[in-house]
Amino acid sequence: MKKTGWILTLFLLSGCSLRVLDPASPYADKITRLIYLSFGIMMLVFVVVMILFVHFLKKFHETSDRVDEIPVDESGNRKLEITWTVLPVLLLVILAVPTVTTTYQLTSGASQGEGGQDKERVIIHVKAEQFRWEFTYEGGEVSYDKLVLPLDKEVELRLTSEDVIHSFWAPNLAGKIDVFPDKETRLVFTANKLGDFQGKCAEFCGSHHALMRFETTVMEASAYETWLQDQ
Amino acid sequence: MRLPIIGYVLSDVIVSWIITLIIGGFLLWWLTAKRKWPLILDYIGTTDNRKIGTMYILFAILFFIRGGMDAMFIRTQLAVPDNDFWVFQADKYNEVFTTHGTVMIFFVAMPLLIGLMNIAVPLQLGANDLAFPYLNAISFWLFVSGAFIFNMAFFFNAAPNAGWTAYAPLSNDTFTSGPNNNYYIFGLQISGLGTIFTAINMIVTIARLRAPGMKLSRMPLFPWATLVTSSLILVAFPVLTVALLLLMFDRFYGTSFFGGEFGSPVYWQHLFWIFGHPEVYILVLPAFGIFSDIISTFSRKRIYGYTSMVISITLIGLLGFMVWAHHMFTVGLGALANSVFAITTMLIAVPTGIKVFNWLFTMRKGVVRMTTPMLFALGFIPTFVIGGVTGVMLAVAAADYQYHDSYFVVAHFHYTMIGGTILGAFAGIYYWYPKMTGKMLNEKLGKWHFWLFIIGFHLTFLPQHFAGLNGMPRRVFTYTWEDGVFLFNFVSTIGAYLMGISMLFVLWNLFKTHRSGTSSVDGDPWDGRTLEWTTDSPAPEHPFPNVPVVDRLDAYWYAKVNQTNLPQTKDVRPDPISIRTFQPILLAGVLMVMSIGFIYHWMWLQILGGGSVLAFFLIRSWTDERNEAYRKGEKS
Amino acid sequence: MKQMSDVLFLDKRFGFFLYLVVEAIMFATLFATYIIFTPAERGAHPSEVFEWKTVALTSIFLLSSSGTLLMAEKGLKNWSRKWIWVGLVTTFLLGAIFMGLEIHEFYKYAHEGYTLSMNNFLGAFYVLVGLHASHVAFGLGWMINLMIQFTKDMPRALFIEKHKIFNYYWHFVDVVWVLIVTIVYLPYLF
Ligand code: HEM
Ligand SMILES: [Cu+2]
Ligand SMILES: [Cu+2]
Repeated sequence: MKKTGWILTLFLLSGCSLRVLDPASPYADKITRLIYLSFGIMMLVFVVVMILFVHFLKKFHETSDRVDEIPVDESGNRKLEITWTVLPVLLLVILAVPTVTTTYQLTSGASQGEGGQDKERVIIHVKAEQFRWEFTYEGGEVSYDKLVLPLDKEVELRLTSEDVIHSFWAPNLAGKIDVFPDKETRLVFTANKLGDFQGKCAEFCGSHHALMRFETTVMEASAYETWLQDQ
Repeated sequence: MRLPIIGYVLSDVIVSWIITLIIGGFLLWWLTAKRKWPLILDYIGTTDNRKIGTMYILFAILFFIRGGMDAMFIRTQLAVPDNDFWVFQADKYNEVFTTHGTVMIFFVAMPLLIGLMNIAVPLQLGANDLAFPYLNAISFWLFVSGAFIFNMAFFFNAAPNAGWTAYAPLSNDTFTSGPNNNYYIFGLQISGLGTIFTAINMIVTIARLRAPGMKLSRMPLFPWATLVTSSLILVAFPVLTVALLLLMFDRFYGTSFFGGEFGSPVYWQHLFWIFGHPEVYILVLPAFGIFSDIISTFSRKRIYGYTSMVISITLIGLLGFMVWAHHMFTVGLGALANSVFAITTMLIAVPTGIKVFNWLFTMRKGVVRMTTPMLFALGFIPTFVIGGVTGVMLAVAAADYQYHDSYFVVAHFHYTMIGGTILGAFAGIYYWYPKMTGKMLNEKLGKWHFWLFIIGFHLTFLPQHFAGLNGMPRRVFTYTWEDGVFLFNFVSTIGAYLMGISMLFVLWNLFKTHRSGTSSVDGDPWDGRTLEWTTDSPAPEHPFPNVPVVDRLDAYWYAKVNQTNLPQTKDVRPDPISIRTFQPILLAGVLMVMSIGFIYHWMWLQILGGGSVLAFFLIRSWTDERNEAYRKGEKS
Repeated sequence: MKQMSDVLFLDKRFGFFLYLVVEAIMFATLFATYIIFTPAERGAHPSEVFEWKTVALTSIFLLSSSGTLLMAEKGLKNWSRKWIWVGLVTTFLLGAIFMGLEIHEFYKYAHEGYTLSMNNFLGAFYVLVGLHASHVAFGLGWMINLMIQFTKDMPRALFIEKHKIFNYYWHFVDVVWVLIVTIVYLPYLF
């Protein structure tokens, strides 16, 4: 147990640079906060269990003078049982409220998409096929396996697949959205950090699923325009 | 390289053929030299629950080796970035993780648990056998048949390759043509039928064959868990059966339920997970039951909060049917659906938590003996709690947009499935080994096994959480240096080898226990609490000539404490009829033939096999053992 | 000790009922599939495929076969060989006519081009109704077997047991048919 604890802290130290926990959009940021919240609550549970576990083991393991001991019979304790029913429920309520609100915030944008209403939104069509990504921008410009986004502008991806199910995932920027052959899915987010970010297909889609990656580059709006013209 | 009939194959298939032939040949020679054939025939023709249970476990171990080797190949290929280990890239890799997952779930975890149920449940109830001994043999041989069909695929260079979830349209013949995923369909279909029959058998046994005085409220928790699990099987497996049937129509007969122009890929996911989520509770509830019995025995205390334990398993079972779409948060079902399923999923944590605290408080004020089974039970608690809390994290729908299909999920479900099911099965095997064979496994080697396994386990799967958080999707055969997941993967691979090594201690233990003629133990080597410990070890075919009368939970224990004997009675219901028959194994063979006919689209074989299967109904009807038995009854 | 055949029969009946639960869930899943995919966007619409005459005829035969089976059940109760024979034979004949009509229906549809690959309505229809039909076919074989066993020397308790289990099966298959008529056919007939 000691060993695992040690490794755990080591990993946690490097945690800040893990892509999912290093958001480059308000969307991803919301998720990151949720992850920390849920992790905190769950660590609380884990620690309580571990304390009881270690304590009981230390105190009640068999020793040579207790070999023939028959413990006192007890069948349970109403109060304690109510405690460990009610407290977890409370913890879960604390977790459930932000879960539902965030899910609503992130999802309504993602799948219904109030598309069109918002003139400011950059709309990019994403076509996934075994094993490559095709991005079509508003002026009909096309790029493959490379997605370029303007900084601080809301983008709406409209995703469809040519063959099997794929899933669009750029961990720093947003959560996954699956890409289907029979329907269009949407994903809305706003990149607020410049730079290159990895993207990957996250739904197993055949032989070279592992190689179905794309690069996402977030540029200043002006650079974005020039880049588009070069396409 | 080209092989006769099979055609062009890669070297892994060839090596496997050679090794299998050598081991097979050696086995045949050994069985003959040691004159083991009569024993084998005895087991093949048996309907005795203990023997069938033992065979379930033996085959599960065989397939555990298979699935474990797949795991080692996976981990070796992923040990370092941009790796090219042997042949395991692209399609080969996909075949390996598909077989690994499917084999582990259907042909390792399920039979391990069903095997233990077979051995322990009737004994714990005071029953002389399961309600339908013949059907039990059928169940077992259907499992063997399905498992062989599935495992055969690799040897004919056609291992399934669409993941154990077989998501359409990838699993449709448009994208994965060839026989590969046909093997998947038929392997699962036939073993699934066996599982359904087992569930029926268990429910009837528990409902109707309990010892006098054993009300449901006095029944040990392993039979309780078995009862709930069996009910889940009864509802969940038929959905899988239909899903596979529809997939088969898509692949064979030109329908397009899940793909093509009119099909709905999401519909497959719904069907699969309506089966699949209950399935994971089917896998874990019996382990809960085993741990409950073991923790109570080795704390010398009755289980804490028995009633809430029973209510919890039942609740988990019920809630298990209301959460399936948490596997589909990213398909775009909408915020409402995602929120609802997030909350139902979180709710399951409550009864699970109740159970964990009850286990802990069973130990409080007890005398905790560190035997091997107890070590596994103790290792289970923190491990499963980690799996449980990451489960709650995954239930946070919005956050799951990040976790989904990443290594975080791989880590999570191994924490629950190995931490729950596999540790539970190990604990149960060490615990009930005397009932199976009359011998005790060596405690020292058992402890070696435990410590190596648990350390290896955490080394393997703890880092995977972080690999997932750093953006590593699951089911990928390679990654790059820039991905920044090398360290996590490398540690994970080391851990996996450690787990592999720990399994050698099991083999050594088995070898040692049986070679040296270790002396047999008496009926109650652990100072147990439940009825199985009132019988001899190994449990005879007819364990209860007189059936004990039970007046409370753990009645045997309290009788021992009060230094009395359990009262016994002869006035009980008639026993189920056990017989010797080779029909089940023949049926299994015929089903295999028929399946191959379907897998390779050989119409004549389908008809031949199908006709023979139908003939078995007639044979069975005309050789019914009740004929004899009732005739005697009529005369007397 | 209680009478062995009574106790074992109760075991078997309970087990068989559980098996029927399994069957019921399979059919329920297929009904769901049918409802989801029907009517299909393209290809044949159910109202152009189904004919009320066929549905009425098949229903009359199959449903009345459940009635005639009651005669056999009565025969089992008072052990009247005559009634058992009458019940079994009429049930078999009605079931066989149903089977004939069903095959004819499928054949006719296929002939008109309504094959199972045309669209998912037809796919779901054929799988669901086909599975039911194969249950009827299996039941017919079962009845023949029962009739032969009836002529042989078999403990009466065992024959009654086998017969009763068959009865549950047949009634179950009939109930499924009623559901098929109400869910699959009726909404599109008029
Ligand atoms: C013996 C040690 C084990 C190791 C080292 C191991 C390792 C792995 C790894 C690395 C994967 C991910 C493969 C990928 O996504 O590319 C995987 C997948 C999986 N494993 Fe294990 N595993 C082990 C035991 C088990 C057991 C005991 C079970 C079940 C009872 C299990 C069930 C699964 C399942 C269901 C999958 C998913 C397969 C799929 O994606 O289709 N594993 N395993
Ligand atoms: Cu992919
Ligand atoms: Cu689930």
